[in-house]
Parts: sequence; C-alpha cells; structure tokens
Amino acid sequence: MENIYLPKLAEIKEIIQETKDTKTIRLTINGSDIYFLPGQFGEFSVIGEGESTFGFSSSPLRKEFFEFSFRTSGRATTGINGLNPGDKLSFRGPYGNYFDTSKMKGKNLIFIGGGIGMAPVKSILEYCFDERDDYGKITVLYGARTVGDLLYKNAFDDWRKYKNTEVVITVDPGGETADWTGKTGFVPAILEQLPLKGENSIAIVCGPPVMIKFALKSLEEKMGFDKKDIITTLENRMKCGLGKCGRCNVGSVYVCKDGPVFTAEELENLPNDF
Amino acid sequence: MQEKYFETEAENLQKFVDSLIADNFDVIAPKDKDGDVFYGKIDKFIDANLSILLPKVSYKEYLLPKTETLFEYSLSGTDVNIKDGLDMYYGENKKRVIFGGRPCDAASGPIMEKVFNWDYKDEFFNERFKNLTIISMACEKPDNYCFCTEMQLSPESSYGSDILLKRGDNMYYVSVLSEKGLSLITPHLSLFKEISRDRMPAGKDWKKVFEIGKTKSFLDKNFEHNYFQDRFLSCIGCGICTYTCPTCHCFDIQDEGNLKEGRRIRNWDSCQFAIFTLHTSGHNPRVTQGDRYRQRLMHKFKIYNEKFNKYLCVGCGRCSRNCPEDIDIKEIAGDLAGLI
Repeated sequence: MENIYLPKLAEIKEIIQETKDTKTIRLTINGSDIYFLPGQFGEFSVIGEGESTFGFSSSPLRKEFFEFSFRTSGRATTGINGLNPGDKLSFRGPYGNYFDTSKMKGKNLIFIGGGIGMAPVKSILEYCFDERDDYGKITVLYGARTVGDLLYKNAFDDWRKYKNTEVVITVDPGGETADWTGKTGFVPAILEQLPLKGENSIAIVCGPPVMIKFALKSLEEKMGFDKKDIITTLENRMKCGLGKCGRCNVGSVYVCKDGPVFTAEELENLPNDF
Repeated sequence: MQEKYFETEAENLQKFVDSLIADNFDVIAPKDKDGDVFYGKIDKFIDANLSILLPKVSYKEYLLPKTETLFEYSLSGTDVNIKDGLDMYYGENKKRVIFGGRPCDAASGPIMEKVFNWDYKDEFFNERFKNLTIISMACEKPDNYCFCTEMQLSPESSYGSDILLKRGDNMYYVSVLSEKGLSLITPHLSLFKEISRDRMPAGKDWKKVFEIGKTKSFLDKNFEHNYFQDRFLSCIGCGICTYTCPTCHCFDIQDEGNLKEGRRIRNWDSCQFAIFTLHTSGHNPRVTQGDRYRQRLMHKFKIYNEKFNKYLCVGCGRCSRNCPEDIDIKEIAGDLAGLI
C-alpha cells in the first residue's frame, strides 16, 4: 500500500547562485535523473522546514541531473537556501500536465519569460534545443526587473549557439547597468518590436501575471496569434499536488492535475479566480 | 448486497452495543461534553445521547483526523531516516463503529471517498473508511437549518450507512445495508428478529424548499455576481463552517519538529482563511471574504458536482447553526436558486 505523501530523497549535485536571492539546485535520486516532462512540477523540501512547489527548470533529455530554481522568501525556501552539495532534499513528483511538444513540432517557437517565471520556460526551451531539428525558428525573449535579477546568465551564450535561434534579453527601464548590452524595456514592449507572426507559430509565456496579461494582448492583437497557440502556466499555491488538498482550484480546474500548463484559450474560459 | 430487515427491542439494542464494546470495538457516539454534544468514544450504551438532533461537529475526524502524521523523520549528518505514517496507522484499533449518527453524517464518507481516490489513492483515508462501520439513526424532526432533502438525501436515507435504525415504540426497525453491517450483527443475531421488507415503516414524503440544480445553474453563470460581495460582508472568516462540516476536507501539510527529528503532518485547513491561497509574491487570488465564501459555495455545489456528479454537501446545516454571524447556507442556496 502506497503512501502518496512519502517523499523520495534527492541528493544535491550542484548549486548555482543565480542572483542575490535566487538559486538553481541540481539533483539526482540514487545517482540518476528522474522521468518528467517540461511543464511539470514537484514538491521540494528540507525535511523539518516544510514543502514548496517548484516547476522543473532543466530539460529532461539532459540525463545527468534534474533541477529547479527558487527565490528565498519564507521558512521552506530559507531552509533550502542553507543547503550544500551532498545534502539531501525531499522530493515528491513529478505532478501535473506538461507542454504538448507534438503540437509544437515543425512550428516557429517564441519563448517569453519574466523574472523567475523563466524557470519552466527554460525546461521546455532546452528540451526543444535538444531536438533542435524538430522545430522552426526559435526566439527567446527574457526579461527581469534589473540586470541583477536575471537568472540563467551562464546559459544565454549556449542558447545563442543553436541554429536559427534569436535570444533577446531585456531589463525594465531603470534596471540597466552602465555596461548593459541587452535591451531596456518591459517584456511586452520589446515583444512588439520583434518580427513575429502568429502563423505557424507557438508562443510559450511564463512570468508575473501583469507581464502575461500584456504579452498575451500583444501576441493576439498585434501579431495575430490564435489563443490556442499561446501556452502559459498557472502558479497557484499548492500543498499536496495530488488533487486532494483543495487549494489550487480555479473554477472547476485543479491547477495541480489539470494544469499547470494551459492555453490562452483555456485561461479565457476560467473564472477570474487566479 | 440484498438488504435485510430486523426488529429489535430497545433493551436488546443496548445489549448489542454493550457487547460490541465488550468485544473491543471503539464505539463512537453522540456524547455529552461541557454542556454540548460531540461524537466521542463511549464506554457503555447509556453514555450515548440519542435524544439530540446532531452533535456540534461531524465525525469527519474519524476519517480525516484534525492532525495526522504522514511520516516521522530523524536526521543525522546527511542521513535521513523516514518512518511511514501508514505503518503507524496500522497500530490503531481498527474495530471502530459510529453509533447513533444521522443519515447526513453517514453520507459524508462516500462523498469524501471520491476526492481521496480520483487518480492518486489516499490510503490514510481509505484504511480508516474501510474499517469504520456506520450505524445511523433516522431523524424524526429535522430543524430549520437542515436541508438534507434538498441535497439528494433525506432524514431517513441510507446512503453511506451500514445499518440504519428507525425508532419505533420502545423498539427499533433495523435495515442492514452492507456486508460490513451484516458481519457486525451476525454474532448477535439472537438480539434481532428478521422481518420482511413490507413490515418496515414507510418513508415519509419530505418536502423540498428549493432545487439544488437551480443553485448550480446560477453558480455556472454568475461568478462575478454582486450577491457574493454583498451577502458575505458580515462574514468574519473564522472558518467554523468548514471546521464543523462533514464534507469539507481541505488540508494543509506542515513539518513539525526540529532539524534532528519530527514529523510531517496534515492538518484541517479552511478556504475561509486569507492565507489559504496567498502566493509567495503577495498576490492573492481571493481577496475578500465574499471571494472566499463564494469558493465554498462553488466547491460544494458546482466544482465537486462537475467531477463526481454529486454535491459536496449533505445538508446537515452545521455551518449555519455554528456561524457566529448566522450566515445560513440553506437560505443562501435557496436565494441563488431563486435568482436564476
């Protein structure tokens, strides 16, 4: 008989200090990775400090580890922040639905991320890079409040090496430094400057609600994206991840089981409860 | 199972319950405590209070304890030792009978069972539910807060009970509804006299005051309706409605202990608390008490219904009876049905 709340123990292989208050943690379980798909999430915890919900940020095709990124803000994440390589983390998952890559094959892809919302985008982006020939042009648009708030800085150059790929990094006005060579402007404004069309394209958008709201508007109204071709994730507060504890529902949808991945069309049909 | 029917003298019912206790069953029944009545373990039949309508709180805690250990942990260096909470449950007395609860409470078990078993199976709930035998007592006089009839049940309904008792003149009519019920009385058959179905008293025609299907139709189309913000201005968000509810099952998971040893527990939680849905960023999808009570109504009369084709409410009226602001869910569900 299985206890669905019992975690596995994962070992920390590597910790990357992304920004002042965010880190990426790379894990293995019994020396290997786990089976998951981009868009899914897990429950991570320092035992004794409580669980938190994070999406995976690595490509599942990179077998040497699985990773997630987090910002230190409460008791559980303060606990995780104190860990070192070799320490153990409790893990439950993977849970939830995932990005439907069969729908993305052969299409041009635009990946739009804001702040730490880039984490799940990175997972599906790198998954697509790992099977680069299956997709058309890839455009990455990633923004954060300031240069210091950008995650995954070490990965930008790797992303740029893939063929037929454009990587645009931006910071909010006022967030640039003297030596900043990227763009300056809010993500939706920079998005509108890019030569993108909805035709034969899929957009993946994750970030703060206000960024998603305006990015969706630009994609639909200025670039002609169909709502079915815009994919995003909801990041509701969760406890169980199993469709029991009753806290993540938006209307009749359980974000932990029916989501966290939704199309803009599906979001439009949900009540304003997220 | 083919239902079976019996008669038993009042004193034989007492003997039956006392023999269950002697047989080492935990018998949980309505019991006086501090001037109120709660479900609790009785040591003898006469400790049960069978004269009241409903205990203050449902017996939900025997299916979903207020606090339950999911696992215990101990840490030394980077080694983590985990002891499965399910193994600890197996140490509890599994012979447990709920005696003298009402049909509304009995219905809550199979209703919650659906939530705990769609896709992932919650064996904590399942083990407790499997080992619980429910002997209910039909109601004769529901009060004004009761609305089980509107919730597809009735004061005499057998849904969820293993045995249903109906009071006669110094005797009881006994319907045995499940194998679990039958195996409980089989060793004591000398106390019961089997009768045919036509000897059982006919059910009464209980009248409904509103159609719950209409309440749902209203909720389907009116998420943004002003009713919710206006009606729940008086709600103080205390959460007693969810605490006393037989079907509210939302829970929190917390770690308790220190960095050497402790346990991960789940506790009852409430959608009426602001922190329930508060994001780390500070964003909260449900800002007002109106938003939160609307969620409770939505979950009970729409969300659960769309998944499981029943309602997440048995019409016991406890949320209204215990509400310090006298917010009456029966009145509200009726209002909404009338607004369509």
